[in-house]
Amino acid sequence: MTERDDRPFVDPGRMQEVLRHRLTRRSMMKGAGMGVAGISLASLLAACGGGEGSGGGGANPQEVFAGPPGDKVDFANWPLYIDQTKDNQGNVYYPSLKQFTQSTGIDVNYEAIIQSNEEFFGKIQPQLAAGDDTGWDIIVITNGRQFTVLTANEWVYELDASKRPNFDKNAVSFARDPAYDPGNKYSMAWQSGITGMAYNDKLSEPITKMDDLGNPDKVGKSSVGMLKSDMPDFVMINLGIDPTTSTPEDWKEAAKWIQWQKDQGTVRQYYDQGYVDDFTAGNLAATMAWSGDVLYYALWAGYSNLHFVFPEDGALLWIDNMLVPVAAKNPAGALEVMDWYYDPKIATEVTEWVLYMSPVEGVQDLIVKDADKAMEQGYKGYANKLYQTAKNEYLFPSQEFLDQTSFGRSLETDDEAEEWNNIFLSITQQ
Amino acid sequence: MATGGGASSITEPPQRGRSYGQRKRLVPYWLMSPAGVWLLLFLILPMMILVYTSLQSGGLLTGGFRFSWDFSNYTDQIVQYKTQFVRSVFYSITVTFACLLLAYPMTYWIAFYGGRWKSSILLLILLPFFVSFVIRTIQWKFLLGDNGLIFGPLKNIGVLPESFRVLATPFAVIAGITYNFLPFTALPLYVALERIDKRLVEAAKDLYSNRVSAFIHVVWPLSLPGVFAAFLLTFVPATGDYVNASILGGPGTTMIGNIIQEKFLSELNYPEAAALSVVLMIAMLILASIYARILGTEDETLTAAI
Repeated sequence: MTERDDRPFVDPGRMQEVLRHRLTRRSMMKGAGMGVAGISLASLLAACGGGEGSGGGGANPQEVFAGPPGDKVDFANWPLYIDQTKDNQGNVYYPSLKQFTQSTGIDVNYEAIIQSNEEFFGKIQPQLAAGDDTGWDIIVITNGRQFTVLTANEWVYELDASKRPNFDKNAVSFARDPAYDPGNKYSMAWQSGITGMAYNDKLSEPITKMDDLGNPDKVGKSSVGMLKSDMPDFVMINLGIDPTTSTPEDWKEAAKWIQWQKDQGTVRQYYDQGYVDDFTAGNLAATMAWSGDVLYYALWAGYSNLHFVFPEDGALLWIDNMLVPVAAKNPAGALEVMDWYYDPKIATEVTEWVLYMSPVEGVQDLIVKDADKAMEQGYKGYANKLYQTAKNEYLFPSQEFLDQTSFGRSLETDDEAEEWNNIFLSITQQ
Repeated sequence: MATGGGASSITEPPQRGRSYGQRKRLVPYWLMSPAGVWLLLFLILPMMILVYTSLQSGGLLTGGFRFSWDFSNYTDQIVQYKTQFVRSVFYSITVTFACLLLAYPMTYWIAFYGGRWKSSILLLILLPFFVSFVIRTIQWKFLLGDNGLIFGPLKNIGVLPESFRVLATPFAVIAGITYNFLPFTALPLYVALERIDKRLVEAAKDLYSNRVSAFIHVVWPLSLPGVFAAFLLTFVPATGDYVNASILGGPGTTMIGNIIQEKFLSELNYPEAAALSVVLMIAMLILASIYARILGTEDETLTAAI
């Protein structure tokens, strides 16, 4: 990629910091006021529609993805989840996408508009149910309930497996044939991460296991952040229960732990997002945490007092997946973009920026090469950060490491979802 | 609505201008129609959809929601979330009184002693509210952080104990809502106080009243319509607020607005969310009309007495 090689190495470290006003992909403060107003009417109308849409109805993938791609792809993703930089005029652009356009002639309209799976799903659900175009050719959804609804209703196209050579060659093991999407029938991973714990060594004793989050002697009172959506799965894993096959009895076990922790008085807040702000501000001594968030602060932003911890008894693994919604205008182009990101060079550009786990082989070596190059050119600080990034086990986990992680429960029916909510929300909503 | 005029204009052939009397009769209807259409489109219709949604059952995973007269959405929700309902009303009443206590002296001073600076001072009160209230609320988080701008130094010099905190407490939520709703209280109060004829106070003094009794017998009763409006304008929206509880609160400060928001956006359970919204709306309507009954008449008699 000439673009990459020509990339001006003008103080890239600082460039990173300037561009990345790091609220991070998941902890992005959802404009709490905006969400409901925007969504409610659409959802209500959707609810009226009954939502029995035909969806893709098992459209033949060879036909859907046949023919030459259209000249524009609409790509919806999460904030701060792709490499970005500025040109000489100060316009922000995405180098990896620009290279794609140069190489294929297909324009990509990339928008960082997804701030939560639920909310985004709620926005596009009416169109999907009616079999209409959502306006997006690629959307990025985490494994879990919304993902299940999308695939089970065939609201996303089955992908043409013969048209993703890079994926076939370079996908890492965890991205291949995931339990939630056997054979990658509908999805290809974008990035992935771990839900573990983190602590601030100025305010907390070192923590090693989940029970420490309920131990006031270690973390203090009212000083622990819990992530509402990941908490049930995280707790089950640490109690030795596999969430993916868990039953309501298991959920009650987890609820017991959550209640115990609450009674211990260590919890400060059950977060949707925004925990990172409280964590870096020193309001939280310890917290459940998403790997990339803490890694950014610890590795790149100089918060040496913050530590990410992989709990002794395991952690939650999640994968954000690219999907092609039904009635998308340009499925062939979408698949080309998706496969483009399985080129290791391209994937490296993304990883160096977003600091989450890449689903592509070879990224680690390429980061080391970039570090060497930066070193040669005299950018020592930047090179060191890259070296540390390449070494990090939360970015490039070993197989033993991955064996200690588990996916979360994907709720299959509405009754299950309701029971789940009743069990867990009755504790956190009080 | 406009039966006579509207219908005839369609069926009858175009005439060379209707009589003056005819046109005059139509004027109120024409003037009313933009507001009527507005209300129909943005109040009545959504409300009907809301009620319709609240009686659906089913789920997103099993083919969507269907209308089924499912009244259990109501009964179950009321039982399950009565704590949060009661808490919301309690918070909101506290907030409303706090707002009145803060805003009354402030607006009184502006109305009576503001002079030519009146509008400038009023603008100063409103100025912070030109910024999105979500952002303002997040700023409080920075200010009130456990080791933030205010408490950090105080803890360092030992004025406050290490464990002291404001965030994630009911106090933080109530204070946050109070701050955010202050203009809703201040503006109606100001309007009422500004309207009071200052000569009435002079007259009271001429009649050997002191400042306190002049206030009690003249200013306060005359400002009651403002207090009445301020109370409603603050109390009703404050009860449904969820931003403050979710940003400044902790475990045990969940308000009913948070539950509704969560049901809509996280659980995607639209019928239950709609049912809760309807219940909240009706509860507010009942509380507000009881309040209007009690204070409304008293207000009129008092005004009449003076």
